Amino acid sequence: MFYRRAGIRFTRYRDERQIWPLPLDRRLMLLVLLLALAAPYLLDRLYLVGYLLPWLIWATAALGLNLLMGTAGQVHLGYGAVIGMGAYGSVHLVRAGAPLELAMLAGGLISAAVGIVFGAAALRVKGLYLAMATLAMQYIVDFVISHVPFISGGSQATITVPPVRFLGIPIVGDAAVYYMALGVCIVVTLFMLNVRRTAFGRALAAVREKDYAAEVIGVDTFRFKLLAFWVSSFIGGVVGSVLAVCYLRSISPDQFHIELSIQLVAMVIVGGMGSVLGSFFGAALILFAPIVLNNLIGFMADSMDMQISTDLRAHVPLMLYGGLIVGFLLWEPLGLAKIYNNMRNYFLVWPFRHAQR
Amino acid sequence: MQIDRRNMLAGMGAAALASQVPVRVAFGQDKTIRFLLTQDFTRVYTFVTAEYSQGQRDYISLINERGGIGGHKIVAEVSDHGNDLPRAIESYERAKAQGMVLVDPLSTPVARALVTRVLADKVNMITAFSGRSDAADGSVFPYIFPLSPNYWTQMGLLIDYFRQTDGNLKGKKICFVHIDTPFGKEPLPILEALRDKLGYELQTFPYTPPGNDQSAIWPQVRRARPDWVVFWGAGVGQTVALTEAIRNGIRMDRMSSSVWLSESDMDVVGREQAKGVLKIDPCVLGREAKPIQAILDTVVKPGKGAGPENKVGTVYYSYGVMITALILEGVRKAFEIAPNGPISGPWLNAGLHAIKDFTADGMIPATTITTADHQGGGKGRISRWDGGKFTPITDWYSANQDVVWAEVKKYSSEFAKTGK
Repeated sequence: MFYRRAGIRFTRYRDERQIWPLPLDRRLMLLVLLLALAAPYLLDRLYLVGYLLPWLIWATAALGLNLLMGTAGQVHLGYGAVIGMGAYGSVHLVRAGAPLELAMLAGGLISAAVGIVFGAAALRVKGLYLAMATLAMQYIVDFVISHVPFISGGSQATITVPPVRFLGIPIVGDAAVYYMALGVCIVVTLFMLNVRRTAFGRALAAVREKDYAAEVIGVDTFRFKLLAFWVSSFIGGVVGSVLAVCYLRSISPDQFHIELSIQLVAMVIVGGMGSVLGSFFGAALILFAPIVLNNLIGFMADSMDMQISTDLRAHVPLMLYGGLIVGFLLWEPLGLAKIYNNMRNYFLVWPFRHAQR
Repeated sequence: MQIDRRNMLAGMGAAALASQVPVRVAFGQDKTIRFLLTQDFTRVYTFVTAEYSQGQRDYISLINERGGIGGHKIVAEVSDHGNDLPRAIESYERAKAQGMVLVDPLSTPVARALVTRVLADKVNMITAFSGRSDAADGSVFPYIFPLSPNYWTQMGLLIDYFRQTDGNLKGKKICFVHIDTPFGKEPLPILEALRDKLGYELQTFPYTPPGNDQSAIWPQVRRARPDWVVFWGAGVGQTVALTEAIRNGIRMDRMSSSVWLSESDMDVVGREQAKGVLKIDPCVLGREAKPIQAILDTVVKPGKGAGPENKVGTVYYSYGVMITALILEGVRKAFEIAPNGPISGPWLNAGLHAIKDFTADGMIPATTITTADHQGGGKGRISRWDGGKFTPITDWYSANQDVVWAEVKKYSSEFAKTGK
């Protein structure tokens, strides 16, 4: 009834392979895009700056990590460091006078160049062992950033992002910052939606399923494993530069520690490995569940005049948050994207359930 | 098709409505002054925040019990940001929409991220014992108030105390054991500048964060045969450092830390064993101070205290009272300057800048905040752990401010340059 699949048939392979074959999906995406574009005019500043902006940035980062973890099947516990390198690289370049567009790409290249070195570990080790290797990268990068005064910015260890322009538009105020983050997010999202339809994406999928089987059918695993790290780290570096310019505005080493890496891995897993939509859902849950729960408990405590100690009030949201993550993973181990997919499948043929294939 | 369009329109309408959920709850009409005390109760600072926040809230309750200031009640919103930037920024934006005029994040990472925001939004931010040390330069950071001796000043105070005690530091050896993070390395420029001036020998020993294993460091410190040891860390690193120092036979009365040492740490180390260790006091500790007495009478006795009674007057509790007393003195001054408000960030800012020789009934050294100096003079005193409490062994003093301010100016001018 909603999706109206009747009468939709394709006469060319190209048509059938499009990203959203059903008109409703296309319209839904158009609606989301329009709402995203109109958000600065529709939303209160609190929701724009406090929710939408970090959501876009973290979701873009999760997409980059998802390429590696979901599409190529390589674990990465040092993605926070990848983002950090991009952030530091691009901010230093901007401070040296480079235009932001170039600095952003350069930040991506720096991350990619270092990321591929540690990615080389993936040629020898898999699974937990690869996790350890990437964890080592996290700590080495952290160490280098905080121990080279030239990078960290001296004893204050904070470097401020100077006022910048992106494509000729000054990145000041809320709207310009938001649109810049949105632009990068859209580009990365489109890339991720399309990558699985390319030879590159199929090669990554083959490597993910079994690397020596992929080798047997003629996929150069050496090349594609390194490429996966290269592309994913490049995206991470670009996100780092967006994060620094649009959100943090002054960067210090502690912003890119293991906590950020774990947060991103959690987003990918909770959202759904390999799912584009899942990256957005996962980012939303991991970022906002603590905030919403905290506000909820605070509101309840205030309005119902409950006498609970500040300690308890601070910790109850964290307990609920932990429970929420475990709950979601128990309910649907394939992630939030799968829950959406189940609902979509249900409505696809609603109300004629017997027609479901 | 029709249904699709209808759905879309309905969806659009719902989204537009949902976006307008009022965040601007009642303010303006009621006579309140809103503070945001979003701090880290759960991640890194934990019990430090709990005690600090208890002091803050008790002092605010005291002033509200006395009728507030200028007929206005102080409303403090306490929440947990867990040292996480998205959470902190969300609560900052939410409170700002509700008319908050002052924020105290008590967290260096959060303060750093908020610096550019509060400067643009003209909201006052307190960065006591945290944040950027160069924020002491009020000419560059007009809305950021450390209101307390920064880490450079604390190190300057310590070295001067060593000089007072030994007469001359030439040829003496000072060992600096610190956590290997930007926070731990921060005093290094001051130590080096003063070494060149006073001629002592300096050895530094970094330990890896969070510092729960320092067993490799302290034998080296012992072998260096230091005249003075300064240990610089936070949380678990402090107690482990003390334990290891005791194990290695370092003399406690030649050993000092920053302001971050409290009774709770001593309970972990052993109250008797740690006897003699030194720390810096930015204010009077214990229950004797007049504001604490007033809190005990007016707030805690009637059962309105914000936390356990035995924490009243502890080190971090006192810090909370000290900072809140300074903030509320700023509010008082703001009412003197502009009795009819309107209550806003700039309004409070003028008041904070007018704080002059304020002592909080003798609880803190006479503090004056000017547009140039947001540190408030950088006065402190050294106290010694006697097994039961920290007893002051010097009077309030200020030292080596020339070296400190050279460093402050170096970084603040750097910030001013990139800010343009």
